[in-house]
Amino acid sequence: MIANFSYRSHHSIIEKIDPRARWIFALCMLFSIVLFWDLRILSVFFALSLAQFFASKVTWKETKRAWIFILVLSSMMIFVNTVITGVETVGGTVRGGTPLFSIKFPFLDSFYVLTVERLWFALTQYLRIISIASLFIILPFTMDPRLYGTTFRGLGFPDKLAYTMDLAFRFIPTIARDFNVTLDAQRARGFELDKGNINILQRIRRMAPLMVPVTMNSILAGEDIANAMDLRCFGLKKRSWVESLRYKAGDLALIIFSIFILGISLYLRFGLKIGDFWMPGM
Amino acid sequence: MKKSLWSFGTREVVFAAIGAALYGVLSYATNILQIPGAGNVAIRPAVALPMFFGVAFGPIVGFISGLLGNVIGDLLSGYGFWPWWDLANGIMGFFPGLVYIGIKNFKDTSDILKAEGMVIVGVLVGIGIAAISELWVSGVDFATTISINFIPSVTTNLVNGLILVPILMVAYSAIQARSGR
Repeated sequence: MIANFSYRSHHSIIEKIDPRARWIFALCMLFSIVLFWDLRILSVFFALSLAQFFASKVTWKETKRAWIFILVLSSMMIFVNTVITGVETVGGTVRGGTPLFSIKFPFLDSFYVLTVERLWFALTQYLRIISIASLFIILPFTMDPRLYGTTFRGLGFPDKLAYTMDLAFRFIPTIARDFNVTLDAQRARGFELDKGNINILQRIRRMAPLMVPVTMNSILAGEDIANAMDLRCFGLKKRSWVESLRYKAGDLALIIFSIFILGISLYLRFGLKIGDFWMPGM
Repeated sequence: MKKSLWSFGTREVVFAAIGAALYGVLSYATNILQIPGAGNVAIRPAVALPMFFGVAFGPIVGFISGLLGNVIGDLLSGYGFWPWWDLANGIMGFFPGLVYIGIKNFKDTSDILKAEGMVIVGVLVGIGIAAISELWVSGVDFATTISINFIPSVTTNLVNGLILVPILMVAYSAIQARSGR
């Protein structure tokens, strides 16, 4: 197993933006999107999310796995919600409505009725989920993992927390190598994860010969690292970072735009009470 | 050295980073184990790691191991960011960490049972919050999020935690003396 980050430079305009500004944009968009159930407003956010996705130059091949994951999970949720259980969504706005077809439940004196409103609501749900997914899906592919520590420090996280993130990313290659060495060593002793007709519980127990040595070796190594850091007086003074970030005019413009979007969304939703479930003819 | 539940010094920084890296790498390595028919819910035995790091090093270490480890696992797998599910993983590491002070002997049955009890609480609260957040984010109803998100995730995480956390605790008791802490 090779543990590789999905990031590679795409030479896109998105990668030139300060990661702090990108996080602020993504979070402002997320909090704005979840305020609305009006497809017309959600379409604006969807267009913005898609614009960001295409500007990142991330390919379908790179993101296929993530899209399949999101589409399968959201389709299951929306199917169950629309066809099986969906009666209580957003305060019951989809109760009643125009029937498309109905089925009588066997042995029960009641009918299941699929309405146009339920289908329209399902479409709105899809648009919401895909808008949010497009915002966050590109981050691993377009943000250099070496910058996570300094990015979150720059966003106001405490020094130690940002350093923890930085350290965690640096441990990954070592841990992945230890995992491979342990897997090979256990296989040489006859260990097989999937061998035989075993149930899920047995399969989980079979993870122990892999997980225990890797974890215990890492803990022993961690004691040495903590001692070395203590000897160098870690945490006594404010840290400096190898990678430094500086806002440019474009980054500041994006931050102002993000805050503007969130402000407008809050005003529309709570000031003007706009953004409830909507469908044509309603 | 006297244990403190909320301290976050050098040792905690290092073990939170190790816990997160281990959880991220091992979740990525075991992502292939999926439950048939349960909406992409992976078995992910590695979820026991943040729980164990919580028990061994405190709630803050457990929380960061879970939250950051889930971010790393998703980064490695290319799944994007799902902040409310990252938070759920953090909470699953946080609650077992609350027994950190009370653990005298990692091999002792009563200490293992204490940890197991908090594993159950952590999974229920963590996954509960993530499942409820789906009401707000995806707009699904309560019955849907319970059947699609809550039950499959709680079942797999509980089984993993209840089986693997005691094994890790017993193994840790053997090396604990070598750390000299």
